[in-house]
Amino acid sequence: MTPPPTGDTDTATVRLHRALYLEEAITEAAATFAGLASFAVRADGDHYVVDLSAIARDVDGDVVAEFCNFALANTARRRRSGHA
Amino acid sequence: MMATTRSQIETLDPATLTLTLSLDVGLYPRDVLYAAAYVFLDRAYVLLDRQESRFIVHLRAKRPLDEPTLQAMAGEFENELLAQALRHQVVDANQRIIEDVVAVAIAGAAGDVEGTGDTGLEGAPLIDPRDPEDGFVADPLGIARPWEPDKQGTE
Repeated sequence: MTPPPTGDTDTATVRLHRALYLEEAITEAAATFAGLASFAVRADGDHYVVDLSAIARDVDGDVVAEFCNFALANTARRRRSGHA
Repeated sequence: MMATTRSQIETLDPATLTLTLSLDVGLYPRDVLYAAAYVFLDRAYVLLDRQESRFIVHLRAKRPLDEPTLQAMAGEFENELLAQALRHQVVDANQRIIEDVVAVAIAGAAGDVEGTGDTGLEGAPLIDPRDPEDGFVADPLGIARPWEPDKQGTE
């Protein structure tokens, strides 16, 4: 089971299931958070693997978890509007 | 971590403010899962996953919560799933009616109710000028009459 992401180090890896997250939605979220971390997205089996590095620590909230929320919100919005 | 067997809660850990729900994909369409998760984005970090025939929902509260409140959050998520599932069904069942109503409304706003659907309103005027009971000119109930004493009789 994929553990919930936590942002306790300068790097993190998130696995997002390809049946539940759109790649466009993930890259859109990565662009939104570009000023707070560096992102590398790749497909690996059933998941998109997102490697985050240089995560900003001087911000309120959890950058990694907020990124996941954005990826989910973007996916839901795109699917509702028929982008996928 | 405290594992529970009640409901669809797979794990619940007040120390880390996390809980995990396991949902049968046959019970909840993916769109219902998105809609329920969307409602919780402002108060929890949400991560969705899938394992075989189960959706796995990871929730981590954004603010400190005690165990009963965390359990309540799980229950609220399940309630939201049911509400969204019902909403989904109602929209599906009434899709044709919704489309017809919107089509007539748009045609009416354009000054022409000649639609292509079978609503039975094709060619009918919105207001029949020959009928004094139709439209807003007639006021049989006196609705347009001012109720203030000093304005009565000025019409």
